[in-house]
Amino acid sequence: MTRSLAGQAALIALAAVVAVIFPHLVNNYWLSVGITALFYAIVAASWALLVGYAGQFSFGQMAFVSMGAYTSGMLAKYYDVPIPLGIATGVVLCAITGCVIGYVCLRMRGPYLALFTVAFSEVLRIILVSEAEVTGGNGGLQIPSLFRGRSDLPYYYLGLVLLGGSLALMGWLVRSRWGLFFRAIRENEEAAAAAGVKVVRFRLLAFAIAAMFAGLAGGFFGHYVGILTPDIGSVDQMGLVVAMAVIGGPESLIAASIGAILVEFLLEALRAYEQWRLVLFALVLLLTVRFARNGLLALGADSVMRVFRRRDAATPARTA
Amino acid sequence: MLDYLLSQLLNGLVIGVIYAVIAAGLTIIFSILKIVNFAHGEVFMAGGYFSYFAIALLGLPALMGIPAAMLLCFLMSLLIERTLLTPLYSPKTERKGDYGVLATFGVSILLRNLALLVFGSYPLRPPSFWSGSLIVGAIYLTWDRVFAAGFGVLLLALLVWFMYRTPWGEALNAVGQSRESASIVGIDSTRFYRLAFGLGGALAGAAGALVGPIYSLSPSMGLAPDTQAFAIVILGGMGSVPGAIIAGLLIGLCENMFVAFFPDPSRALTYAQAFSLVVLMIVLLVRPTGFFGRRHMAME
Repeated sequence: MTRSLAGQAALIALAAVVAVIFPHLVNNYWLSVGITALFYAIVAASWALLVGYAGQFSFGQMAFVSMGAYTSGMLAKYYDVPIPLGIATGVVLCAITGCVIGYVCLRMRGPYLALFTVAFSEVLRIILVSEAEVTGGNGGLQIPSLFRGRSDLPYYYLGLVLLGGSLALMGWLVRSRWGLFFRAIRENEEAAAAAGVKVVRFRLLAFAIAAMFAGLAGGFFGHYVGILTPDIGSVDQMGLVVAMAVIGGPESLIAASIGAILVEFLLEALRAYEQWRLVLFALVLLLTVRFARNGLLALGADSVMRVFRRRDAATPARTA
Repeated sequence: MLDYLLSQLLNGLVIGVIYAVIAAGLTIIFSILKIVNFAHGEVFMAGGYFSYFAIALLGLPALMGIPAAMLLCFLMSLLIERTLLTPLYSPKTERKGDYGVLATFGVSILLRNLALLVFGSYPLRPPSFWSGSLIVGAIYLTWDRVFAAGFGVLLLALLVWFMYRTPWGEALNAVGQSRESASIVGIDSTRFYRLAFGLGGALAGAAGALVGPIYSLSPSMGLAPDTQAFAIVILGGMGSVPGAIIAGLLIGLCENMFVAFFPDPSRALTYAQAFSLVVLMIVLLVRPTGFFGRRHMAME
């Protein structure tokens, strides 16, 4: 146990060192890919929290991203609200909306919830397209940037802090009693209720918390890109996040965010193949869903562990 | 104004029939496999392209595009079912509903991007089934629309006959009502899952072939009908073919009336896309079992 803990600590430290020196090893293009990857990693982790831990199958995460981004963007553009305050407002709005969605969906399960959240995201997207005088419509909305300088470095480090903070918070949450309640609800709602879990309260909480992190990621990314289009909340974007989280492993926050980072970098590295890469990722997604529902990373980690265990078991036999 | 309303009404009916064909296919899949099929709209899109290429490449007459699309969509659905949906029949699979959503959602992404790659993003327009238009007084309706509605009605009539008057249809219904009881009376349920998924796909393909000459074909044309069909399926009571037909006509009509009466015409068209989505959300909230009963069809 202590050995695996030490191993984990070493891995986290290694990842942190790589993440911190990454911007100094690459050009501006890959730095911006890195920032995008951090954004998707937060969203994928929040989806994993809602779907993988609490078992609430939602396709609404990208709608919350766009809600966070548009709220903060429009506050900053039209009312000169300081950007951090705007992002915070977006996060609060997402939490409230998440609560409302969680509340009205209390009677729905699994596929119905998926349908409802798809409909919700599409309605939000259509409103953003239609009310073009305020939102810019499909032409996009120019919004102020978070940092003044030309460099992308501050965004990268802020994204890294946000991702680290989000993962730490969500990780602490799922390891707490609340996390236990989430998983109990996922496995069997009636049994959880019978055991004294306040099912209503924790379903709402799961929605609200996941929506908050999505809104936070949206606000950050919106002010980095500087132009918002309704397409952030499209079904295709949600599909990308689902693919990222599922390929990584939807039942682990870290695996989902690593999945997001890997997929984003691979998508950029394979840019020369244009449309083929999306076909490729859809295929990988289907294979993962079909043969490794806990994600490719989990599958890989499992087989590595098995090899180690076999070696551990073999060594004493030889000495005896 | 009256003429405008009347032609909107007729157009609404035509679209309603097409919606009904798509939704009838979806409702069969929904009631028998107990999954929400997120790839249905993409099979509809594929049907449109299959018909186009059957006509353009093989030189078939325009009318033969429809059976060609139905056959190819049937085969494609069988392929999807064999490769991806078999875990739904295994007791070892956990949370089957979620599995169905993920698998069909993945198929929809795959098909959409494959279509972009193979067919390109430029809209294609298949040849007319029947050129010219029907003009009565001030009312104007292209013959293509009339034909699509007529053919759709024919398909729906055939489907209702098949579902209620043939042994296979009855077996499908039996499997939909209870997998176990159907097995007890000697119905091989796996075979009928396959049939249901293929049949649903063939109906979507027919609808795709029918709308080809009316609108044009594009890889993303399946996105909107997908959610519209869900709205219809749930409004009509899950698994009820007659319910899906009535609800399909209703949604088609209301959508066109919505466009006609919406105060701001520039926004009417974009908001029309949201119309059936809002209906879907309201039905899910207020009466998840739909308005035509069939409580036993609830998801597992």
